[in-house]
Amino acid sequence: MPALPFYLLSAITAGCAIGAVALRNTVTAAFCLLGSLLGMSGLFVLLDAYLLAALLVLVYAGAIVALFVFIVMLLDVRGSDTRPATRVSLAAAGVAFAVLGAGLAVTFGRNLLATPAPLAEAPGLGASLKFYGEQLFTTYLLPVQIVGFLLLIAMLGVIVISKRFAPVEDAK
Amino acid sequence: MAPDLLASLILVLPLASAALCALFLRRQGGLASAVSVTAAAAIAVCSGLLIFGGHREFPASWEWLRFGDFALSIGFKFDDLSALMLFVVSFVGFLIHVFSLGYMHDDPARGRYFGGLSIFMFSMLGIVLADNLLMIFIFWELVGFSSYLLINHWFERPSAAAASKKAFIVNRVGDFGFLLGIIACYWLNGTVNLSELATKGASGALVASTAIPLLLFCGAVGKSAQMPLHVWLPDAMEGPTPVSALIHAATMVAAGIYMLCRIHVLMVPDALTAIMWVGTITALYAAICAVTQRDIKKVLAYSTLSQLGYMVAAFGLGSLAVEHDTATPGEAALAAGVGAAMFHLTTHAFFKALLFLGSGSVIHGCHHEQDIFNMGGLAKKMPVTFACFTIGVLAIIGMPGLAGFFSKDAILYLAMENNTSVFVILTLTAVLTAFYMVRMWKLTFLGTPRTESSAHAHEGGFTLWAPLVGLALLSIFGATGPLGLFPKLAGSIATLIPVAHGSAHTTILIVSLAVMIVGAGAALLFYRSDKEDSLEQASRGFFRVLASKLWIDEAYGYYVGKIQQPFARALSFVEKIALAGFIIRGLAGVAGQIGIGARALHVGNVHVYVYWFLIGVVLFWSYAMGLF
Amino acid sequence: MTVGLDQYLFLSALLFAIGFFGVLARRNAIVIFMSLELMLMASTLALVAFSRFNGTYSGNVFVFFILAIAAAEVAVGLAIIVALFRHRKTVMVDELNALKN
Repeated sequence: MPALPFYLLSAITAGCAIGAVALRNTVTAAFCLLGSLLGMSGLFVLLDAYLLAALLVLVYAGAIVALFVFIVMLLDVRGSDTRPATRVSLAAAGVAFAVLGAGLAVTFGRNLLATPAPLAEAPGLGASLKFYGEQLFTTYLLPVQIVGFLLLIAMLGVIVISKRFAPVEDAK
Repeated sequence: MAPDLLASLILVLPLASAALCALFLRRQGGLASAVSVTAAAAIAVCSGLLIFGGHREFPASWEWLRFGDFALSIGFKFDDLSALMLFVVSFVGFLIHVFSLGYMHDDPARGRYFGGLSIFMFSMLGIVLADNLLMIFIFWELVGFSSYLLINHWFERPSAAAASKKAFIVNRVGDFGFLLGIIACYWLNGTVNLSELATKGASGALVASTAIPLLLFCGAVGKSAQMPLHVWLPDAMEGPTPVSALIHAATMVAAGIYMLCRIHVLMVPDALTAIMWVGTITALYAAICAVTQRDIKKVLAYSTLSQLGYMVAAFGLGSLAVEHDTATPGEAALAAGVGAAMFHLTTHAFFKALLFLGSGSVIHGCHHEQDIFNMGGLAKKMPVTFACFTIGVLAIIGMPGLAGFFSKDAILYLAMENNTSVFVILTLTAVLTAFYMVRMWKLTFLGTPRTESSAHAHEGGFTLWAPLVGLALLSIFGATGPLGLFPKLAGSIATLIPVAHGSAHTTILIVSLAVMIVGAGAALLFYRSDKEDSLEQASRGFFRVLASKLWIDEAYGYYVGKIQQPFARALSFVEKIALAGFIIRGLAGVAGQIGIGARALHVGNVHVYVYWFLIGVVLFWSYAMGLF
Repeated sequence: MTVGLDQYLFLSALLFAIGFFGVLARRNAIVIFMSLELMLMASTLALVAFSRFNGTYSGNVFVFFILAIAAAEVAVGLAIIVALFRHRKTVMVDELNALKN
């Protein structure tokens, strides 16, 4: 597995992530999220998950981040926190970051400096859409149906929540 | 007709009549009175068929409730004892129903009254026919309830309301002891059925316990108004006079004596001694109190108390005929006591009901005047009442030949044989009985009318004097002797009456004659036909002591007001703080505090919630890592 | 050096922690949401890495579903934020504390 693309893409991903989290301007933060997504998509390509990489860009970047930007524009928030976060909360957040990050890294990255295990043989892992379609509609049919139902509910929910309710007429 | 059907009819008829009167005929007094009197007549007919038809000891029992081994059943026990009591209750009851037709004719609440009379008949007949102690207890309470209803008939009067409450509460105190006795009897003997107890007693299998008969006697103390629970009976005169006649003279107060006779198989000598002394003291005390009364009904009430004391004492005397080394309870030992007590109960029912109805006729004639010092000269105005009342008075003071003579002699003979001090006290009480009865008779009927109301007195209608005549006949013929009816009524009970022979016979005869002459003569000579009490005028202090009734009512009032009420208030306070406060609300309060504490965690800030999430993650992670 | 599973996992953990920091440090609800999406993405990365290095497809398919769910979640969440904004005129979470106590 070539190392350079990996480190390059991971630098992009992490850097844009930090930008998304830290920047004051909300729109800029959204665009940094987008950049992080693109880096992630590249990492998926490195992992031979071509379809997922394309889906990530289509769904996540194309729909979700677009929705975020749309809402930011709609709400017309002045793009910045009117009051910067207090030092205490920043320090607390930093502590939390350290705790969580350290914990996770210790758990998952223990063998960071050791020789990695060889890649498993995965014939046809970069397989085509047809393969995914077969899997989705045979082995994973039930989750597909449930997710479809979930999307329906979500749609209904969104419609209901965002309705403007007229004031109730006094019947008397 | 089958005997158990007759017995069931006897119970069902008054219940149906009461239900009709209570539910539908409250406002139709005339119809209600007709229904009730018809029911009473039917009961009398059925009772006659049962008693004189020779049916005895027919088995009839229905199981009502069952708790494991214990079964509460409703059944009939019809032997000579219940036949005698049934005669008394149904016939005297019927005559009093007829009397009520006339007496309560103008009362607007007649429907309620007759409904109460019917429910009373139902309850009393239940006690008479019952075959186990629990059934007796159930109907005992029902009788207490009917008494409450009927004393309280004119409930607008606060004195009547207070009197009915007093009667019920005092009875309740006695019933508590009664219930404890029933439970003890079941616990120790395994049954409350009277026939089974009798069988066990005959075979000697009963547990000899002093507690059981004494606790059961508590019920009789309450119901038959012995000391110290006698305080309700004089106050119960607030009810209409027929009620006083039926309930508080002839039948309900006699239920205690009847119950004692029913459970005689459980008696032990110590209990009987206690019973005897309670009866004797009650008899003497009541006679002393009766001397100073002004109200005609109160005199008769105290007289009833005194005679009930006689009956209880007679029952208690029966044991001493047995030698003390054969101390097991048994029927033969008590036979004499049962016989004398039931005999006096029967004759007392006749002449006391007669006296009460006579006083009712007098009260009715004098337009509801009850003070004897405001009467006088009624002999000429109300001749039939006068004649019947005189027969009643003669019966109670023991005129030879009349019913009371025989029964009182039986008791005095029994006392003379068994316990001399009791004999002396009972003789003194007999003197006092003659004294106050003749006092009342003289002041009411002889002399000249002292007020307007007595001057215009008149005889009542047929329904008022016909029962008087009937009861007078029963008072004359209702005992033993050449023309006596008692042996026919009582069967085997009559053979149990102690009869004196030879020199004892002469002694008793002389004693009772002397008692009568001394008492009656003293009253006739001492009391002037005057508006003031002659005794009071003679010595005011002595009179006041006699009239105080030994301040027993005041003592009860003090106890309830100053001791029981503060105790109840203290208990209520403890209950509010400890039970309702700590234990009940305490647990709820703990839950509430936890809730308040949890609520404090909801700061409203999303970031805080995320920190909680982090803490959870850390915990999970360390658990997964095996740190704990 | 060659890139193995551990490197991917370390990256995933780092991204997750960055997202978590963002949730805690920012007051704007929309930015908090974006940080949440970042955390989700980190977990998808981990899934795909595991799936690849174990030679199975199940991780990939799972990512499908995560994408769908993330889309639904964003839609509903933003709708709620918009409704809140209409009532409260703010999206700053420390001002949205009506459920306090």
